[in-house]
Amino acid sequence: MRPISSVFYRDYRQRMTNIGFVFWDLFVPLAYLILFGLGFERMLGGTVAVQGQAFGYTAFLLPGVLGMVTFSVAMNTSWGFFMDKDSGIFYELLTYPITRTQLLIGKISFNVLLAVIGSVLAIVLGIVAMEAPVRWDLLPLTAAIVMAATAGWFFLFSVFAIKLARMDAFNTVLSAAYILLMFLSSMFYPLADLPIWFRIPAYANPMTWQVDLLRFSLLGVGSATPLLLEGAAVLIFAAVCLTLAVRALNRAD
Amino acid sequence: MTSAIQVEDVGKVYRTRNGESVRALDGVSFQVPQGRIHGLLGPNGAGKSTLVKILSTITPLTAGHASIMGFDVASRPLETRQQLAVVLQQTATENLLTVRDNLLIYAYLHGVKSHEAIPRLRTVAEEFELGERLGDTVQELSLGTKRRIQVAKIFMLEAPVIILDEATTGMDPLMKRRVMERLRAEARKGRTILLTTQVLSEAEELCESIMIINKGQLMASGTMRELRKLSTHLFRVNLTFADTNGDFVSRLEALMPAQLQVDGHTAEMVFHGEEASLLGKLADISRDTPILQFEVRGPTLEEIFITLMKESR
Repeated sequence: MRPISSVFYRDYRQRMTNIGFVFWDLFVPLAYLILFGLGFERMLGGTVAVQGQAFGYTAFLLPGVLGMVTFSVAMNTSWGFFMDKDSGIFYELLTYPITRTQLLIGKISFNVLLAVIGSVLAIVLGIVAMEAPVRWDLLPLTAAIVMAATAGWFFLFSVFAIKLARMDAFNTVLSAAYILLMFLSSMFYPLADLPIWFRIPAYANPMTWQVDLLRFSLLGVGSATPLLLEGAAVLIFAAVCLTLAVRALNRAD
Repeated sequence: MTSAIQVEDVGKVYRTRNGESVRALDGVSFQVPQGRIHGLLGPNGAGKSTLVKILSTITPLTAGHASIMGFDVASRPLETRQQLAVVLQQTATENLLTVRDNLLIYAYLHGVKSHEAIPRLRTVAEEFELGERLGDTVQELSLGTKRRIQVAKIFMLEAPVIILDEATTGMDPLMKRRVMERLRAEARKGRTILLTTQVLSEAEELCESIMIINKGQLMASGTMRELRKLSTHLFRVNLTFADTNGDFVSRLEALMPAQLQVDGHTAEMVFHGEEASLLGKLADISRDTPILQFEVRGPTLEEIFITLMKESR
């Protein structure tokens, strides 16, 4: 555990020097929930129906906002590899007596904590200000999904951060991922009524799996079999991305 | 004596983006006994940094074997890294963190516990004149100070092998001297040091054994005495003349020295050829322009290096 806790401490010290990142990680999703959620709720003039249950749009959006928190935290953490490249510390890190897996897990550990804090803030805001009917009994499951998803996204983005030499190329990848993975998913709207060309990639999108799971753990919506499959898929996604990121670090020369 | 670094027939082939193979290292073998300072020299692009990257497990080798303190770099990378403190060629500091955090986090990441790291921090900070800078954020500091922090970090550890890739580049001469003294002290304590440098005088002064590589291949290796034997026909000659009457400069030039410097009554030249023949020709010159003092020395490392590089072309 010591190597992981040392990397955790390093990332904590780094993140605390840049409050802008922390603000982005924690408060931008909240702004989405308030502004986007409220605006669409008024525009839709009432409720969104999901599998026979009706919810206010902000309640429907809340699991998506948690997905957004995991996504933002993972993006900013993977961006840290570019900061390491800029300062020259990246290659030096690879000479330290820690495994590549420990390095990646240590890097994301502190940021998983940040994602959980961001999620708690969003849930509290959802309950207090928007009267979202959150299921208290499933909050530990919500936390587990947030953690697994943050790690999965971070490992995926790390592959690009490690492999790409140019920051502008990396930023382009992140921007494309932001648009495609967030909007081509069940984050903002139910997929059932959308055309088939939209639904197929959306169902293959890990963001959809994650948001569906969060929608179940927060609002109790969903059927057992697809949710179990999506749960397994999120874990497999994280494990595969971790393997790819370790491989990228081993070939980082 | 046990070998701290063992390199056997190591090769490295890179594949470029357009699919071409580039041979960065080809059949390089050497060993460094424990407690020795070993210099690794070569021109830019010779393969020094590739070798450092292989030994510090950043890049995999494509042929041969290499080990650090008995641990194979390819099959046991973690154990290898546990034996190492590495300073890479590029400046590497945590720019957003303070000097204190840089030193402490480096130690923690190498498994040093805080009750050991904090006293070491004070000693190292004092030694590298960083005591008053501990609270400063590194990005506000000069490049030379960043380099000093980078080198200071390795003394937060007690790893048995230290690898320094152009470590003193950008340091002021006084600090460079202090680092060299500290490295000698560490070697006396039994730590093994592999040093790559472009400053040949530094290598000559510090290293007990030296290896010269070029185009990925080993050109020469050994102690300074052994390397000098490779250039038996190369002499550095210092002459002091009684007066400078006569055309002694053109007569010295006629000897076709590799280098010639004349300053008033003294001349210094590097001569490539047979010693007996040189002495005969100098005796002829001294008949017209008497020589007061005469000294013949072996070549410097720089002269050996230049000769070897010319021969390899």
